[in-house]
Amino acid sequence: MTSGPYNYSYIFKYIIIGDMGVGKSCLLHQFTDKKFMADCPHTIGVEFGTRIIEVAGQKIKLQIWDTAGQERFRAVTRSYYRGAAGALMVYDITRRSTYNHLSSWLTDTRNLTNPSTVIFLIGNKSDLDGQRDVTYEEAKQFADENGLMFVEASAKTGQNVEEAFLETAKKIYQSIQDGRLDLNAAESGVQHKPASPGRPLAAQPPARDNCAC
Amino acid sequence: MSIGIILCQYGKDCQDQELTSLSGKLERNKYTDYLYSDQHFLMPLLRFEQSDLKCKNGCDYFGNPQWQGYCSKCHREQMSRQRRAEKASSATLPKPEQKKADHGLKLTARSSFSKFEEKRQRQSETLKKANLLKFTVFKKSSTDDHDHTPEKRPPEFKIPSMVNDGMKQDFRARFPNLPPQVDRDSRVFVHTFIMDVMKCASVMTVDELSERVQRQYQRFMKHMDTSQHFANVEPDTKEQLMDFVEKHAMTYLHDLPSIVFSPIGTDDERADRAMSERIQQLSWVGERHLECKLDRNSASCRQLLYKAISELLSMDSAASPGGKLRQVRRCCRHVLALCGRDGAPASADDLLPALIFTVLKANPPRLVSNINFVTRFCNAQRLMTGEGGYYFTNLCCAVSFIENLTAESLNMDKKEFDCYMAMPASIGGSSWAAALLLCGVEREANEQRAAAQKAREQLQDLQHRADRLAADSHSFEEQISKKVQDVLSKTPLEIKPRRELPRIGKLREISSTPLIDLDTSTSEDTRPLQDVTDSRQPSQSNGNAFIQDSQVEPQTQSSKPVTATEDTEKLNILGFEVIDKPSPTKSPQTIDQPWDLKQTSSLELLTPSPLGYTPFDSRSIDELMTPDEFGADHLAPGLGNINYDIDLSDFSGDNSIAEDAPKPEAKDPFSPDVLKKQMFDPFAPQPQPESLNSILEKFDEFSLTYTGNKTLDPFEIVHRGADPFSPPGFTGSLPQNSSRDPFSPVQNESTSILDHNESPTAASLLPSPLQPQSSEKPS
Repeated sequence: MTSGPYNYSYIFKYIIIGDMGVGKSCLLHQFTDKKFMADCPHTIGVEFGTRIIEVAGQKIKLQIWDTAGQERFRAVTRSYYRGAAGALMVYDITRRSTYNHLSSWLTDTRNLTNPSTVIFLIGNKSDLDGQRDVTYEEAKQFADENGLMFVEASAKTGQNVEEAFLETAKKIYQSIQDGRLDLNAAESGVQHKPASPGRPLAAQPPARDNCAC
Repeated sequence: MSIGIILCQYGKDCQDQELTSLSGKLERNKYTDYLYSDQHFLMPLLRFEQSDLKCKNGCDYFGNPQWQGYCSKCHREQMSRQRRAEKASSATLPKPEQKKADHGLKLTARSSFSKFEEKRQRQSETLKKANLLKFTVFKKSSTDDHDHTPEKRPPEFKIPSMVNDGMKQDFRARFPNLPPQVDRDSRVFVHTFIMDVMKCASVMTVDELSERVQRQYQRFMKHMDTSQHFANVEPDTKEQLMDFVEKHAMTYLHDLPSIVFSPIGTDDERADRAMSERIQQLSWVGERHLECKLDRNSASCRQLLYKAISELLSMDSAASPGGKLRQVRRCCRHVLALCGRDGAPASADDLLPALIFTVLKANPPRLVSNINFVTRFCNAQRLMTGEGGYYFTNLCCAVSFIENLTAESLNMDKKEFDCYMAMPASIGGSSWAAALLLCGVEREANEQRAAAQKAREQLQDLQHRADRLAADSHSFEEQISKKVQDVLSKTPLEIKPRRELPRIGKLREISSTPLIDLDTSTSEDTRPLQDVTDSRQPSQSNGNAFIQDSQVEPQTQSSKPVTATEDTEKLNILGFEVIDKPSPTKSPQTIDQPWDLKQTSSLELLTPSPLGYTPFDSRSIDELMTPDEFGADHLAPGLGNINYDIDLSDFSGDNSIAEDAPKPEAKDPFSPDVLKKQMFDPFAPQPQPESLNSILEKFDEFSLTYTGNKTLDPFEIVHRGADPFSPPGFTGSLPQNSSRDPFSPVQNESTSILDHNESPTAASLLPSPLQPQSSEKPS
């Protein structure tokens, strides 16, 4: 775990939110299971919901939490949001209702995460273009209004899935570089592994919690 | 005392349960006994009696298990009393959560609790014993492993050395490659951590304490990042170290009452109880209410659910946050398998309802306390990432869902919901309870079967080994007998006259009493063996020896006058004795000093008479005396020796005292007492020749005879194995002669073997009692 592609510098925590049946877990599996084919020899067992990617020469381990999307669990799933650095908000382009619920999901996300959390809007099931119920433009406009990144993706074909996760990671990494994200805050959703070689010194946050009693 | 309280509380909680089975009743009864007696280790009552059903207060109303065995009125009073007491006592112990009457699962929970209880007891014991170890500040380095100095000694708490030792062992087991400084650092951290928490626990709210603990974790992480001790430690190992440290610190703190687990100032315990009651009320909630895809009729589904529930229940018994997380993780993996059985990837949409269902069916003990404990004191980073954190978050969601469960959240009519909630808790969910019970029974059956299988295998193994052992022993026996045969065939018994006879005769004359005693003792030993070995000619052996003596006599006379005379005299005396005619020369001396005999304790030797020669007792004593007195002076009284020997042989066949008797008789410093002892030691045959020689040199005549014996060997020609002409009258006296007499066949055997082979192996084949004499001979 500590050598080769597993030697990562950061851990980013993502959550995937959205209505039930929009394909959250399919997106997750599409993304995480691909690592067998792409990145590394699959000698080590699958770690739950993770994948290691590379952003700007930094190995980053993405830890992605799937969430339950049922309406009745909405009230109790707040603890999912705790410490998420990125939130992938998913709707189903073939079901209008899932798109309509986005605003409440967004509200939850905004309320329950820290301001620097990157929110990415994903319109899933882009392969089912014939059954489309939500237009790209409509969603794009919603994303722009709320300052979200947006992409239409297909968990089935894998189209744009990778990009969504990678773009989110890049944005998070950027905010770390900018110092907007406090790594030492427990809720930042980012863990730094300083012992890794070649880490940028800029990543060291200025504010350190130096309590030694 | 604390155990008593726990038991009491446990008993109380137990009684709240709906217990239907007989075992449940007995269990409750047992804990009732615990509750209401001062002795906590009473035997449980095995039978219900009328009095058991009455109110515990003895108010003649019937009691109720729901009311802890009181009647309603007394129970109310009791409860209010308890509440007051609870408020009064600051040290409230964490209470075990009551459990549902799910028989299949109850067992696990109870065992987990008893484990907990045991641990607490152990903890309190070590708490008393161990002395406080106050650790110095983190950075202070000392070469010693125990660099904690007892500078300060607050009396309130003590960290048992157990923690330190346990950490040391665990560290060695888990991180064998890490340098000792890391081990030391982590131990130092754990101690400062524990001290800090305990110091702050009383003055801080639990949230502040939690924050402090989190800061401590961060501090350690920072230390790992900065300290050069950890320079070569991999990041993942650091994480493991973090978990390691957390585990040991929190395991210790967890078991202390009201510090971190269900701490004072929180209503964790009440929440536990409320949650448990709530879950019991919701036992009617089925899979269809939660819209989770569970099939009660599928065996694999039931099994998975059962496993998940078992894991969840054992969360309470794990002491560290990491351990609890692990249990949650295991549980959720089963739940996930439950959801994703149909090939499709399991999603959180399925996981959460299934987990809720699992929690509802499990009703884990102290659920809220456990969750709060993990939330507060688990390393926050661990909680926010990773599988354990994810599942734990799901569990939190499930619990909060159950807490806030309404008709809407179950997508059902409010009226129907209320109806269900008003229903007695025992009715709902019976089908699932039955299904799970089935699982429990099945598992138990499997365990039993496995145990039986194992036992059978062990038995077979044992049988196999027994057979092998039998075969081995048989072959060993054969080998041994074969070896014995070989040796016997290689070294055939040759009966030859004993060459040492003259020398021994001389020695005996010289040595007087001690030597005689020696001889007697040996003769006793040799006697039975001689019979055995001489089985070919048992009847003749004694007489033969005598005859040999008589026949040898002339030749000995010719070659060695001294010996010859001695022999003749001996023969005469033998004859005298048998015919009850003692030699005249000896008798007066014996009469002169009769008490000396007793002094020498030769009497003791003489008293037992195996051949029933009682009439000779007194005489033989007299005879004995003579050589005792005159041993050194009179060479001729070798006769006395012989007499003495004869008597002894007669009487001492089965006398054990005779063996011990000779020892105190060493009067003469020149008597070969020492020599004898050395010679008698069968284990030290080497030094004997020298010592014997040196002693023999003091006695000129005997050294002469000694050498003469060696060279001359006068009896060799004359000796015969068996003489039919041996007088039967002498049989009684002759065994003695034959045993110590060189003419006896047995001794001839021994000498011949030793002479020919000169090897100890040959000697060892001979009967052991002969060895003292045989050891004489080679010298």
